[in-house]
Amino acid sequence: MSHSDGEPTPFERVAERETSRTDYYREILDRNVVAPLRILISDTRGLFGIGSILFFVFLGTVGVWLTNQPESTQYILLPPFQDAAHPLGTGRYGNDVLLQLIHSTPFMLQMIAGGAVYNITMAVIVGTFAGYKGGRIDEFLMTIVDMIIAVPALPLVIVLAVIFEPTNPIVVGIVITLPSWAGLSRALRSEVLSVRTHSYIEASRTMGLPTASILRHEIIPNLMPYIMINFVNAARRVIFASVGLYFLGVLPTSGIMNWGVIMNTAYETGSLYTLDTAHWIILPMIMVVWLSYGLIMFGQAADKVYNPRLRARHATTMTQETARTEEAES
Amino acid sequence: MKERLHDKSNAQQTQDPIYQVRNVSVAFDMDRGTSRVLDDIDLDIERGEILGVVGESGSGKSMFADSLLNAVVSPGQLGGEVIYNTEDGQSVDVTELTDEELRKFRWQEASMVFQGAQDSFNPTRKIRTHFVETLDAHDADIEDGMDRARELLSDLYLEPDQVLNSYPHELSGGMKQRTLIALSMLLDPEVIVMDEPTAALDLLMQQSIVRLIREIKGKYDVTIIFITHDLPLLAELADRLAVMYAFEFVEIGLTDGILEEPSHPYTRALLNSTPNIFAPVEDMTAIEGSAPDPVNVPTGCSYHPRCPMATDACVESDPGYYETNANHGVKCHYWEDVDNAIPLQVTADETRQVDVPAYGPVAMGTDRTPVLTLDDAEVHFESSQGLFAEPDAVRAVDGISLDIYENEVIALIGESGCGKTTLGKTAIGLQRPTGGSVSFRGQDIWDAKDGHGDVEIPHEAIRQSLQIIHQDPGSAINPNRTVRHTLELPLKHYNDELDMGDRQARILGMLETVGMTPPEDYADRYPHQLSGGEKQRVTLIRALLMEPDLILADEAISALDVSLRVEMMDLMLDLQEIFDTAFLFISHDFSNARYITEKSGGRIGVMYLGEIVEIGTVDEIINNPKHPYTKSLVWATPDLDETGENEDVPLRKIDIPDARNPPSGCRFHTRCPEARETCARKKPVLVGDGGNTHEVSCFRDVPNHEYWDSPELMNDEPSDETPTEK
Repeated sequence: MSHSDGEPTPFERVAERETSRTDYYREILDRNVVAPLRILISDTRGLFGIGSILFFVFLGTVGVWLTNQPESTQYILLPPFQDAAHPLGTGRYGNDVLLQLIHSTPFMLQMIAGGAVYNITMAVIVGTFAGYKGGRIDEFLMTIVDMIIAVPALPLVIVLAVIFEPTNPIVVGIVITLPSWAGLSRALRSEVLSVRTHSYIEASRTMGLPTASILRHEIIPNLMPYIMINFVNAARRVIFASVGLYFLGVLPTSGIMNWGVIMNTAYETGSLYTLDTAHWIILPMIMVVWLSYGLIMFGQAADKVYNPRLRARHATTMTQETARTEEAES
Repeated sequence: MKERLHDKSNAQQTQDPIYQVRNVSVAFDMDRGTSRVLDDIDLDIERGEILGVVGESGSGKSMFADSLLNAVVSPGQLGGEVIYNTEDGQSVDVTELTDEELRKFRWQEASMVFQGAQDSFNPTRKIRTHFVETLDAHDADIEDGMDRARELLSDLYLEPDQVLNSYPHELSGGMKQRTLIALSMLLDPEVIVMDEPTAALDLLMQQSIVRLIREIKGKYDVTIIFITHDLPLLAELADRLAVMYAFEFVEIGLTDGILEEPSHPYTRALLNSTPNIFAPVEDMTAIEGSAPDPVNVPTGCSYHPRCPMATDACVESDPGYYETNANHGVKCHYWEDVDNAIPLQVTADETRQVDVPAYGPVAMGTDRTPVLTLDDAEVHFESSQGLFAEPDAVRAVDGISLDIYENEVIALIGESGCGKTTLGKTAIGLQRPTGGSVSFRGQDIWDAKDGHGDVEIPHEAIRQSLQIIHQDPGSAINPNRTVRHTLELPLKHYNDELDMGDRQARILGMLETVGMTPPEDYADRYPHQLSGGEKQRVTLIRALLMEPDLILADEAISALDVSLRVEMMDLMLDLQEIFDTAFLFISHDFSNARYITEKSGGRIGVMYLGEIVEIGTVDEIINNPKHPYTKSLVWATPDLDETGENEDVPLRKIDIPDARNPPSGCRFHTRCPEARETCARKKPVLVGDGGNTHEVSCFRDVPNHEYWDSPELMNDEPSDETPTEK
């Protein structure tokens, strides 16, 4: 490439002035954090979802720090809304139910995060790689995935739980959903098969971009709505599985504070059969339902975050002119 | 100036209108206002005519088709009257019909042929089922109906029983489209509305179908409304033309009248911007500006922002129809002056000299080393039908040798399925050839990739040097990323020495170069905020940022509006000038291929079933085609000055043979009007005639070949034309 005529072509052009790094990062922040958040809270579902999640995070951090560990008191099986000292009542051993719920939250959140992140990471890596690469790699990976899918999940988890007796919340989260990424990765692979027919994938390949870069920049962003929903579902699966397994007493309960454990204790002391003690078992249930409902709402609203039309409309760094054209185009 | 007409419908005199469209509007309520996608239309359609409706995409053409059948989808609101007159003199307002009446009206009185024949059939059901179900749904007699279906199919040059017993995927695009036309006529409708019925088809097939439509119309006595963006196509087909711009008809008249004396500036601009196979390339101009937004149509004459003749009067008052003669109405205040203001491009000039290329010299000559060499390249795709079945090999590319020189523009043309895209992808190293070799400046691409032998040019460098521009701008850019982000990635990957600021400057500079100003604004847009032409520019920039030596433009302009194509091709050539790039330009359209190669002094290669049958400079191919297939392609290219309307199709069969089982000998012999017995046995090779660039693979080019003594080929379908020349 030689151009002797002095005038630089657009090809050889370099910057005449330094772009301010602050501006650049501000723009990135605006596009990647502020605009998505605006989209989320502009939707009632998103507002509820993100509000619920923030509430539980608050409970699990500040709440734990503000309150004492639940201890046995003289008040046994106090019903809720009777005593200002124990607003949600107490259990059979005199433990304050509210405090129990609060102090269970960190364990729950860590477990959910651990399980969900593990599942999604495995599913995305295996699913997108197999789908994009195709051929032998695809066949090999999908054979493994099919084998994992074929293993009955519940007995496997029970066996693993009995063998390892996990107590670390993150490990618990992973163990109880150990094989469930396989189904998700198969679903993701089919999604990739449709995305990779787009010409821009071929264009990236023609440019010689490495596979990881194509997956990260070209394929995964297009699957994000799908991945988000499945992330939320994986989180819910962790909650339900853990509550179920703790309730059944499969997982070691000693020294662990967990909504499932509370329900298990309540059940074992017979609170299922008397109305007087119902609050002990119902309140943790409400927490479970509330958190998982919040997650669902968050997942539904997050769908919109990955819509470029909405993202463009909510970014402030985009000029009015652009926003108008965008409306005209849509 | 003649008196302004108040009763607008008089602008088109009709004796026996089958349709009387009065004040028809279609509006969509949107957040930002009312979107009027059809704006107060008045039109009469004469019984038994072929009315051609032409307009760019987004001008309201399809909405017009929908409103004729009262098929506007909710939430669109259809206003006005669509009066339909039956043959026995009854009038009904289609907009007032109940659902049950509408169900009867559609198919029995008026039917519609949609654009994508592919999507109009249920892939899990045989064609027969589609016909039977249609008859059944309208309580028609199945046996009589199927007889009619058979007749219709054979009138459309299809084998009725074979087609009826096929699944949709077993038919080619052209066959499906013809079947769809037969289906639409099954219940003997009076009117057929065809919405871009040939848009997805090859030129030869388009021309054949257009001819068939004329025949069918004569035989079955129907009224046809043919909607298209392709003005030259209508020139041969339509009795009357209606030109649509900005959701209304700006000019209506007899086809000859409109083509010879177009009176609306838009019609003239449209004619001037249409790539044409014979008109001088310098006379083709693109239309400035872009079509208006349906929410915000300009006041007064909707064309005034783009019109070179516009005055204050055009901004203030909306012109009604002026009558230039009894059969010609035009919505322009200044139609009388339009002849001087916007001259029409010079039409076919037989004695025209070869133009000196406006760009770069002809990149021919033996002393130069080619950028890319294909040597006997073969790509055979194997598709195994079952475990024990013999695998079928589709010979997509079958032994092609081709040199592409620096800065050369080579256009490959051929019908769909002829292997031109596969050849292109093989050339730029995206498709591994199953035979032969592909070398970049002497280095075998696949050896470099696999690390075989001495690798002189690393694969990375080759990969960078061979780039692609895709056909569909919608799918060619990641919808989730801004233009800036899309363009940054290749720069980051290949130009480590550039810092962030330099990258930005380069991207903005490129955007400015391709005319996307202000570049800062465009850089931050997402693809959905760009028009099709703008998206295609971004993909062009993306390819150029890699500093390639060869760009494969795979039907890169086919998805653009006619008025934008010339502009895009000019841009590609301008940039080629700056960046020293060769182009491999794939097209199914002769006029586009001719435009880009003539301006750059390039070559055109004609492909048929995996082989190049003729290659040469523009002049050689267009003005002196030697291969019968090239001749038929030239014939099929729509021409505005078509005079010999009733010319026969210069083919014996209009459908392409199955690529899995190509004909023996010369592959074209099954369709070739000149084929003789030798052609079925022997295979011609591509030969030049001594130091010339023109190469052709046909026995007719060889004097004293046994071809000349062999008997004519008599097939099941005898040819109408007998070869007379000797």
